Amino acid sequence: MTYAVKFTDVWKRYPRGWSEGEQPRYASLRYDLARLWRRQGGTRQPQGTEALKGLSFEVEEGASLALIGPNGAGKSTALKLVSRISFPTKGEVRVRGRVAALIEVGSGVHPELTGRENIWLYGQILGLTKSEIRERFDQIVAFAGLEPAIDAPVKFFSSGMQLRLGFSIASHLSPDVFVVDEALAVGDAAFQARCVDRMRSLVNDGHTLIFVSHSLSAVRDLCREAILLDRGRLVSSGNAEQVLETYTDMLHEGSISGSNRPEPIQVKRLQVRGAVDGAPLSTGSPVTLLLEIDSAIDAPGVMIDVGLADRYHTFLATLSTQSSGRRTDLLAGRSSLSCHIPALPFLPGEYEVFFEVQNPRTGAYVAKQSYVGTIVVSDGPSWRRSELAYGSVSGRGPIDVPFEMTLHRADGRDH
Amino acid sequence: MDSQRRKSELVLAGTPSRKLWRSLRELWDYRDTIAAFAERDIRVKYKQAVLGIAWAVIQPMAFMAIFTLTLGHLANVPTGEVPYAAFSLSALVVWTFVSNSVSFGANALLADAAMIRRVYFPREVPVLGSVGSALVDLAIGLTPFFLLAPFLGAHVTAWWLLAPFLIPFLVLVALSVAIPLAGLNVYYRDFRFALPFGVQLWLFASPVAYPLASVPEKWKTLYLVVNPAAGIIDSYTRVLAYGVAPNPAYLAFSLLGSLVIGALGYLLFKRLEPTFADVI
Repeated sequence: MTYAVKFTDVWKRYPRGWSEGEQPRYASLRYDLARLWRRQGGTRQPQGTEALKGLSFEVEEGASLALIGPNGAGKSTALKLVSRISFPTKGEVRVRGRVAALIEVGSGVHPELTGRENIWLYGQILGLTKSEIRERFDQIVAFAGLEPAIDAPVKFFSSGMQLRLGFSIASHLSPDVFVVDEALAVGDAAFQARCVDRMRSLVNDGHTLIFVSHSLSAVRDLCREAILLDRGRLVSSGNAEQVLETYTDMLHEGSISGSNRPEPIQVKRLQVRGAVDGAPLSTGSPVTLLLEIDSAIDAPGVMIDVGLADRYHTFLATLSTQSSGRRTDLLAGRSSLSCHIPALPFLPGEYEVFFEVQNPRTGAYVAKQSYVGTIVVSDGPSWRRSELAYGSVSGRGPIDVPFEMTLHRADGRDH
Repeated sequence: MDSQRRKSELVLAGTPSRKLWRSLRELWDYRDTIAAFAERDIRVKYKQAVLGIAWAVIQPMAFMAIFTLTLGHLANVPTGEVPYAAFSLSALVVWTFVSNSVSFGANALLADAAMIRRVYFPREVPVLGSVGSALVDLAIGLTPFFLLAPFLGAHVTAWWLLAPFLIPFLVLVALSVAIPLAGLNVYYRDFRFALPFGVQLWLFASPVAYPLASVPEKWKTLYLVVNPAAGIIDSYTRVLAYGVAPNPAYLAFSLLGSLVIGALGYLLFKRLEPTFADVI
């Protein structure tokens, strides 16, 4: 196999912006002239922020690779290098074939022009030929769901429609390498689902995909391989499932990009009590989560949240003191928070418990979100007790929804 | 699409290629994109204007009226055997193109900052698009000139047929100034403030309000060397107003001057280009 994209010891330094020991810089001729003057005789200090520090990796043709990592890891910078928008400071980036970015593109759409004109002109600017646009015009309109409004100026579109239009044009390019940066935040759930489908079909057609997302479930859904970045360096690479696991482990340990300052409010212990002490948890049974909290500060009028997530950091539910409507004061010293769930709605599997304290008015964190433990649901409803059901919990969704299901023949002749 | 197409390999490393020839060849590959930018600019420009494309005509006409009144009648600027109005209109139609190209071209990258941050194309493409849209304005502005000029006293001769062939010279002058300014504008917004002011100074440093013949002989060479627009604007007034052949020497000054400035400016632009997306 040959590579589609290859990074060899790539460094990227952003020339402006914040750098250590210096004020944030704005571009001005006066500033640069003054600096030029002062530099006389002195040595030139490298300036700016380093986004990538010697990154090397290779993406094979037809592969689907995810770049994951915390904010500031250098994921978007790497994508910009692949799509030629930005240039490496040092090292070498090789790209074989045409690249198209499915970066959030809505802002490139011109508000004064109609949807039709935008597809035509913006499509050409993005790299479609005229005949390609003619061929795909109806698809683009249908994909964006804009049929009735296509001849109205885009400024009369809702912001969601504008974004959908931009994304739709970009997603009908057919490059060799496809680069996607958090584009899934665009539009409503139905449109997002269409985007994921579109990306999946591009991968199936043999296009190379490089995907950046904070949605780990989307990554798992679309990518077979992944690369974990932290502060511009490669931490782990390989099979997507394994890399995701490494990432969630690191998030739990707090070894990634967090400050090492101890939090003033900490959870010392998580106790999980089922219906019967010591017995394994089962779907539909009552559960009590007991959190022992140590606080170094008085935190009056706060909101304490206990979040439940699946193994991949996707939140499923948040249980909050806010729901009681009563004022919550967390005082210095030891407190214990009891959280009772009368009927656990999760199917068998592992679920993670997160804890955070927020100011309910400003949303500011009093205690940042932290992982406090895992609960294991090991017994499910009888109909899910087959091997098949256990083996594919993630594929069938984790929530136990009470339901009745019947099948009727259309002509009314039931069996 | 053409999946059989041989995949070209792109290498980004060290310093980007600053070879003029390679940049120009890449630009040729992007000609459709340039046309798309130009088309968009034209559509946007006249979309909400009630008078629409009439603005392309109004601008030089209004200046002609003011210049004729002040410089032609009050200051009595000599324009030889054609009336001042005919002279200044022919110069202004051409000048409007230069001034529009430079004003819009120099701001083209900032206007499309959102796209620069997200999509790759050679960064001079939007600048060329702006010049392209100004070219359409020039074509629109020239039509009423041809209708009106005989009544203003311009000499209609076969030399009028030369007018379209001088356009490449004009485009070269506009590009040689617009491209480096567009690049510097990304780095230093100072240029944005200096630009309208600079364009106005340039107008008075060009033979638009007065004929080149009225520049003292001993300053003429310097005048032509410093301002590459001078030679081509003079050629246009000769052809369109006086109905005589352009002076090849002046035209050569213009061509050489804009080639030198253009080549240096383009190299500067290409040098700045790799970091545009990082700083814009």
